[in-house]
Amino acid sequence: MKSDDPITNLVSAFARLPGIGERTASRLAFYVLNEPDSLADDIAEALMAVKDQVNLCERCCNLTQAETCSICRAPDRDHSTICVVANAQDLRAIENTGEFDGAYHVLHGVISPLEGVGPDDIHMSELLERLQSADANGGTEVQEVIVATSPSVDGEATSLYLSKAIKPLDIRISRIASGVPIGSELEYTDKSTLSRALSERREL
Amino acid sequence: MLLDALRCRRFRNLESVDIEPHRRFNILHGANGQGKTNLLEAIYLLSAVHSFRNHTNAQMVQFGRDSATLEARVDRGGHERIVRIEISSGGKQVYLNNSIVRQLSDFFGTVNVVMFGPQDLSILKGSPSERREFVDDAIFNAQPAYATEQQHYDEVLKQRNALLKEPDPDRALLDVYGEQLVQYGADIIMRRLDFIEHFSPVLDRTFRRIFDPDFSASVRYDMKWSSKLQGIERYQEVSVSRAEIEQDLESGLEATSGTERERGYTLIGPHRDDLDARLDGRPVGTFGSQGQNRAFILAMKIAVITYLEERYHFAPILLLDDVSSELDRQRNRQLFDFLRQRDDGQVFITTTHRDFIHLDEDLKVFEVDDGKVIDA
Repeated sequence: MKSDDPITNLVSAFARLPGIGERTASRLAFYVLNEPDSLADDIAEALMAVKDQVNLCERCCNLTQAETCSICRAPDRDHSTICVVANAQDLRAIENTGEFDGAYHVLHGVISPLEGVGPDDIHMSELLERLQSADANGGTEVQEVIVATSPSVDGEATSLYLSKAIKPLDIRISRIASGVPIGSELEYTDKSTLSRALSERREL
Repeated sequence: MLLDALRCRRFRNLESVDIEPHRRFNILHGANGQGKTNLLEAIYLLSAVHSFRNHTNAQMVQFGRDSATLEARVDRGGHERIVRIEISSGGKQVYLNNSIVRQLSDFFGTVNVVMFGPQDLSILKGSPSERREFVDDAIFNAQPAYATEQQHYDEVLKQRNALLKEPDPDRALLDVYGEQLVQYGADIIMRRLDFIEHFSPVLDRTFRRIFDPDFSASVRYDMKWSSKLQGIERYQEVSVSRAEIEQDLESGLEATSGTERERGYTLIGPHRDDLDARLDGRPVGTFGSQGQNRAFILAMKIAVITYLEERYHFAPILLLDDVSSELDRQRNRQLFDFLRQRDDGQVFITTTHRDFIHLDEDLKVFEVDDGKVIDA
């Protein structure tokens, strides 16, 4: 509901952002109000630009300013291996490891009936298209899919669902390993994590 | 397991409380409504982080204040730790040795308590959820990772039920949640069966020693939905494998798939199971007298403590909330006989009448009056 008071409006606008409560929102609003105009201009401009200029890569659904993203355009990457992630932040996390030189596919969400998110609400059909036709994948046939959704209940369900959809296509599909986090205590690790870490153990 | 010091600030009616409890018996004495149970609740919170009362965080903070603080110095096997919980309407924050606990699973198991209050006296006649809670609390005390497993199961169950409520649920997705339900559900059933297998003999021994050597007491895990595994009597050496449980859950889901679509929720699984308590082979809840019911429950609580001591070698802190007024004179005496005979173990007892409490050594009495607690 919009009020006539611009300060109230700004506070409620900030409060709609995740992780920002009423109190923080009002602190931010008064900060913007007391700073020179240039701050408000810069923020407004950056906000509009992000909505105007950023769209989804037509191949992998990553965020990009062009039609296809820089990763899909990179000639030296292995476009026959696709790593499936839930969102752009996860893509960035994997990129930052420097360990992966294949392509990605960004789902922009995980399946969650509780929140009304079904398989059709995440960008899965684009992925299946890429797997079925080399044309949809820039001319390269896909050899392998690595599912890198989080090992949470929703991430697992999404990964299981994907594997059921991909299995008939006869493409190698794997799931990132999960197990005991580095620096943690074994005694406090839950049983499902531990038993999975055990069953997916590797030789020394 | 020892609570060496307890501090409460702005917690319910406890404005400012600092006590140094006795290593054995602590009697919290005072009239009704003075804050005795709040003190037990504070200790319980420092163990389980949630309360045994169904109240919001805001209700736990003293009226007109922003936040409450609970802090305890605990000693486990010579290892001293400072546990602190900050409660505000926004939530709870746990600190262990002054550092923030980010994952509660890293914290659970630091303080172990067993609670016995008037609300427990109805568990044999109450709903199955009360009996599942008894089993789950006991498992959680010794195996903190159980809390995470339960959380996983609950999440899958909620997702699956949400999907079942959709007018035309995706078949493949329903299969996915079915597989997950089987996996996480089997984790929980295995833990419960393992507990009951070890607990039932302890319960029998306890009941015979304390109440009546001629009666046999037993509990078994009751999966009413399961055709094959119905009422497995694990203590009779009939063992069941994880694969069998998974298979049974699978066929159970299959058998109920039509009905669950109609009703819009999952009809089988550990969230529907029960604990079947029997005295001489007959269900106590329905066939037992009032006295037998109370004796049985008392034996269950005592047996949990013995079970934890014998199997895991630690004595949990026992919180007794006004039970003496609910038990008859004989059962009350039997309870205190048990407590005195133990070599060790810290106990907190609330009472309105000092003479209900048959203890006269190794103790401290705290007078609780209008939110103030005085070492008497």
